Amino acid sequence: MSFAIKKLSLVALAGMLAYGASPVFAQTITLNFLTAEKDETVAPVIEGFEKLHPDIDVVHTTVPFDSMNATIEARVGGQDPSIDVFLVDSPRVPAMASRGYLANLNDEREKADAVSNDVAMGIISYKGDIFALPAWTSTQMMFYNKDLLDKAGIAYPGFKAEDRLTYDQVVDEAKKAQAAGAKYGFIPEQIDRYYQLQPLFESIGGGPGLTGEDMLTPDVTNPKWIEAATFYSSLFESGVSPRGVPVDQMSSTFTSGDTAFYIGGPWNFAAFNATEGLHYGVAPVPYFAGGKPVVPTDSWAIAVSPYAAHPAEAKMFAEYFSLDPEGALLSVKNNPIPPVNEIAYKTYIETIAGLDPEIGPAAKEIMTYELANNSVSRPRSIGYVAFEEIMNRAFSDIRNGSAVQATLDQAQQQLTSTLARIQ
Amino acid sequence: MRNMSARGALQLAVIAAFGLLFVLPLWWVSISAFRPEDDIFRYLNPLSLWTFFPNRVTFEHIVTLWTSPFARAIFNSLFVAIATVAGGLVVCTLAAFALAVIEFPGRSLVFTIMIVSFLIPFDAIAVPLYNVMRGFGLQNSYLGLILPGIGNGLTVFLLRQFFLGLPSDLREAGMIDGMGYFQIFWRIYLPLSVPALISAGLIMFIFQWQAYLWPLLIAPATEYKVAAVAIAQFSSAYDVNFGVIFAGAMFVSLIPMVILVAFQQYFTTSVAATGGKE
Amino acid sequence: MTRNKKLLWALLFLAPAIISVIILRLWPALMALHESLLAPRASTYSFENYTYIFSDPVFRGSLWTTLFYSVIVNPLQIAVALGLALLMNNKLPTTGFWRTLILLPVAIPQSVSAVVWSVGFRPDGLINALLGMFGIGEQRFLTSPEQALACIIIMVSWVGVGYWMTFLIAGLQDIPKSLYEAVTIDGANSWQRFRYVTLPQLRRPLTFVLVADTVANFLVFAPVQILTKGGPQGSTNLIMNEVYTRAFLSGDKGSAAAATVVLVLMVLIIVLLQFRLMSDKGAD
Repeated sequence: MSFAIKKLSLVALAGMLAYGASPVFAQTITLNFLTAEKDETVAPVIEGFEKLHPDIDVVHTTVPFDSMNATIEARVGGQDPSIDVFLVDSPRVPAMASRGYLANLNDEREKADAVSNDVAMGIISYKGDIFALPAWTSTQMMFYNKDLLDKAGIAYPGFKAEDRLTYDQVVDEAKKAQAAGAKYGFIPEQIDRYYQLQPLFESIGGGPGLTGEDMLTPDVTNPKWIEAATFYSSLFESGVSPRGVPVDQMSSTFTSGDTAFYIGGPWNFAAFNATEGLHYGVAPVPYFAGGKPVVPTDSWAIAVSPYAAHPAEAKMFAEYFSLDPEGALLSVKNNPIPPVNEIAYKTYIETIAGLDPEIGPAAKEIMTYELANNSVSRPRSIGYVAFEEIMNRAFSDIRNGSAVQATLDQAQQQLTSTLARIQ
Repeated sequence: MRNMSARGALQLAVIAAFGLLFVLPLWWVSISAFRPEDDIFRYLNPLSLWTFFPNRVTFEHIVTLWTSPFARAIFNSLFVAIATVAGGLVVCTLAAFALAVIEFPGRSLVFTIMIVSFLIPFDAIAVPLYNVMRGFGLQNSYLGLILPGIGNGLTVFLLRQFFLGLPSDLREAGMIDGMGYFQIFWRIYLPLSVPALISAGLIMFIFQWQAYLWPLLIAPATEYKVAAVAIAQFSSAYDVNFGVIFAGAMFVSLIPMVILVAFQQYFTTSVAATGGKE
Repeated sequence: MTRNKKLLWALLFLAPAIISVIILRLWPALMALHESLLAPRASTYSFENYTYIFSDPVFRGSLWTTLFYSVIVNPLQIAVALGLALLMNNKLPTTGFWRTLILLPVAIPQSVSAVVWSVGFRPDGLINALLGMFGIGEQRFLTSPEQALACIIIMVSWVGVGYWMTFLIAGLQDIPKSLYEAVTIDGANSWQRFRYVTLPQLRRPLTFVLVADTVANFLVFAPVQILTKGGPQGSTNLIMNEVYTRAFLSGDKGSAAAATVVLVLMVLIIVLLQFRLMSDKGAD
């Protein structure tokens, strides 16, 4: 697409030169935009921006999700001017800002504050300044398979906040469903990743696992952490959740009708709705009795490279993507997750509400409520990425049957020595 | 066939068993490319006919794949691999010949450098290499993709081993006839080396065909994107399109298969048959 | 020909290879060495990164895991590749077809191969289903610290065996028939033919396969990254996975570079030993 546009503007340029037209066209600039998204996801927002700024040609480059870090390290870290603006996984903002990979965007703070909530603003801050503009966010809910619940004679959980089940209730019902024929009882989608599991530890009151002024002191062996991790471990010991199924194959356990309860995000609607014969409902994410409800949040933010060839235009594009309700809405047109922009969100959530006469309104209520009340960001720390990596390994070990206390002790030790090099 | 002994039949059975074992995962990939997405992981266990054959067939993934810039990516991969093989063969045969045939001071040092060059993990030096190539302005260009594959220490090593195996009488005879090193290389060594050159070509072809991190860094633009990267892009943070990825993998393995079949006869013509080797 | 003239010719032949190897391999590698000598936030050289990684049980664990893995995977792959090459060398009908099939896995992007094997190794996956047909109970595969490394070995061998086999077939076909005929007249049996003709004649291709396979296996990375991320309990944390994790995930470039240097030195020592082992009275 951008290729065609480039060609068009070249033709236009040639025409203008021939007729001695204004030099404005000679200044058409190319803005390089890097993401881990498919072309069609960001096409609408780019189109919208180019319509407003005919003299700017936004060229989208996509790299696979798993390679985004390596790409940023090599290209922005190498002071390469051929990336102007890029999407950044928001919990990585502090680490990347501390290494100088993100331009300071503090002069946009007021405008960003006006359309974004405090949680979203917090996660893009480092040492009091902001280094990205909030773009997308995420939230989760619990999907349940109606047929499997019917078979076990279990009542469907309600979708109101006050109907929220505790983790123990869900596991009890999951076991009943398994006794009645379900292959798996209860699956949190990203089963051994910190994003998915942080709510367990936060809900029980164990904290995010990092403390201290700079959030660089590990705290993953306190009694509450052990308690929540023991619960997590028991999911696999009892066979309620599967071992060995990779995260990206997880949703197929729900579409194939094998799973009774499944925690996941709105990105699942497309596949779930397209699956013939799958009857499902949605409920809020559970919580620990005596604790508080906590739901994971955050997604990508949009950042400007400090080495951008066109920093002013890059900033304009980031503003359009984030702060302009029209741009923010276009950015989620082909993307299942919510925009942070509060005005755009109002329109976005109506499309979710309209997905299905029964599930839609329930999903709208759950998502809006959770985003406003129970979202907890990942710890804001320049050591977050290293922390996440070590914790993901520890979770994976616990999932595979390692002793809880020993694994967390080991993680604590490893975190202490790794984070010491980052301080 | 009719002359095959019992022993030959047994050997063939072993070969075929290995062949089937090796191709089974590929078969599963290929048929999964024709399944609807929600059927792909449905018939894993217990085994049934539908584990290995699709019971509902769809061409949706194939269509999605070919309506994306995949054709361009396949062309890029092929072009890069073939150009690397062509350029690399010239560079590496010359070097291997010098290391095997010419006695010069510092020969073992140069050989050690060649060995060290393929011990260095490419992924670990990708970032500094990227800076070097950016210095030459080779981002998003075929040259940026091809160059790192051309000076291939492994290929030099392979060809040197082969050249060492050719009898020294050959070059002595050439010397007596008044040939220089280049003529000996061109008129005596090269014609005897066709099978070795094919093996060397295979190394460089596979190096490029498998390359992932480097092309991703140096040439991420759609015009220069290679197939391995294009396939990886059907998985994003929130959804993985297994059907399309498998369809891509199927085509990406079909192309080398066609090339291998075309080169089949050269694998079986040996120097030994011509009596050229000691 | 004079010594100088020989040197000149050699330089002429070698120049393109040497230049490209220096610019595209050795220079970036020197950058890594430079980085490995800079401690975090330091501007002068020190061995701090090296003392750090050697004091880190995770790195030491990955060194041992890598060595253990190499001791198993290399002989295994070479034995299977050589066995298959010997069988295929008999020129039975249809072997060309089977050879192509066995070579094919190396043509698939490793990221896709790893996905296929992750499906295979799922506890509810294909391999357990196959084993179940023979009455073997469900295995844990990638989720077991005892079995995960074996799973990685199976996957990389599936990729590598056909590749190495191809070089050995080429080597076998270069052995003159007359040598076999001579020993057969002397009454040699098939083991003796293998021991006294095939093996010595195959020395150079075998050296190549041994060295190249060893190096390739030391640098294995994508399968680990996708299948196990080094777990469970570090049992598959091969050194390249450790390097990648440090460089791109933990953002600790200094220790990643130090780990890379240790890796290269270790492989270099092993390869030099292999050359010595395979050399025939110092001819190589």
